[in-house]
Amino acid sequence: MAIALAVSPTRMELLKLKQRVGLAQKGHDLLKEKMDALVIEFFEVLRRIQEARMKAFDQLSVAHRALSMGFAVVGTLETKQASKETKRELQVEISTRHIMGIAVPAVEVGEVERSALVRGYGLHMTSSVLDEASREFERALKLLIELAELEASAFAIVRELEKTKRRVNALEYILIPRLREALKFIMMRLDEMERENFTRLKRIKAMMEKRE
Amino acid sequence: MSADRLIKFELSKLNVHLPERRLSLKEALSSAKPQVVSRDGSVHTFKREELEFLAGLLPEADRDKLQVPILIALEPKLGRGTARISGEAEVKVVSQVLEKELTAVELLIYRPEVAILRRKLPTTTQYLFLW
Repeated sequence: MAIALAVSPTRMELLKLKQRVGLAQKGHDLLKEKMDALVIEFFEVLRRIQEARMKAFDQLSVAHRALSMGFAVVGTLETKQASKETKRELQVEISTRHIMGIAVPAVEVGEVERSALVRGYGLHMTSSVLDEASREFERALKLLIELAELEASAFAIVRELEKTKRRVNALEYILIPRLREALKFIMMRLDEMERENFTRLKRIKAMMEKRE
Repeated sequence: MSADRLIKFELSKLNVHLPERRLSLKEALSSAKPQVVSRDGSVHTFKREELEFLAGLLPEADRDKLQVPILIALEPKLGRGTARISGEAEVKVVSQVLEKELTAVELLIYRPEVAILRRKLPTTTQYLFLW
């Protein structure tokens, strides 16, 4: 139940309140449109996340199979040693792009796949099977970066969606009903005052007629 | 902040993602880095594949008529979930993307179509909130 605002029952206040209701209603309608648009964006990002996740998982399973092969051919210790020697830097450029004013991360990654010579591990103690496993993991890394970008976008959209929904609800269930309640109160009070005046005038008229 | 000021503030923020000046498709295609500056100062970059896709839908002569980003105008008075596309070239392109019959210089599309449009043209379309 909406609690009425404390207002003075005047015509000026009535006009002001009507303007406020109009503004609140306009804000509510537009924010609802924004909310709908955000939902469309969110579902689209969600769809892309599902695709990206499937691709990344497939690639990771391929990479793990290749790694198991590496363990078998090169040996566990040698593979672990090679992994410690591998260069772990990757150049990524993180900027932001905007979806309806929401800043979402945009990750631009250069070439993730490297040649065996650039990776950093010694070639004399390893085999081409390990190179293959590294290549598969690098491919998986690229997909994981894309997935991370999409997931961050989804979080940003959801945060904005939550904020917008809270505002829409506040307008729909609190502010607009309160304003309408106050509007109704003023209108009823003004009608009542008009009736009082009318009765008073009638009584005065009757009294004056009696005196004459 | 009073409720009214808060609403006005929210309304003023609704369209800050729109560009200060839109580019024609021809300009965007000829630019090395096709992008526009938004009202909030951020940079919005178009994907080249999307621009080329749009170019493929229009005859050469119409490429300077199409302004990107294409604006999907959401207006509460049209009804919830209804959007308006304005401009001759814009309507032509959107009709083709959505496989709709070509109408006049204005096209009304509905929520599922907005979703398809945004999916196919994520960087070359933007929402515009009108009141």
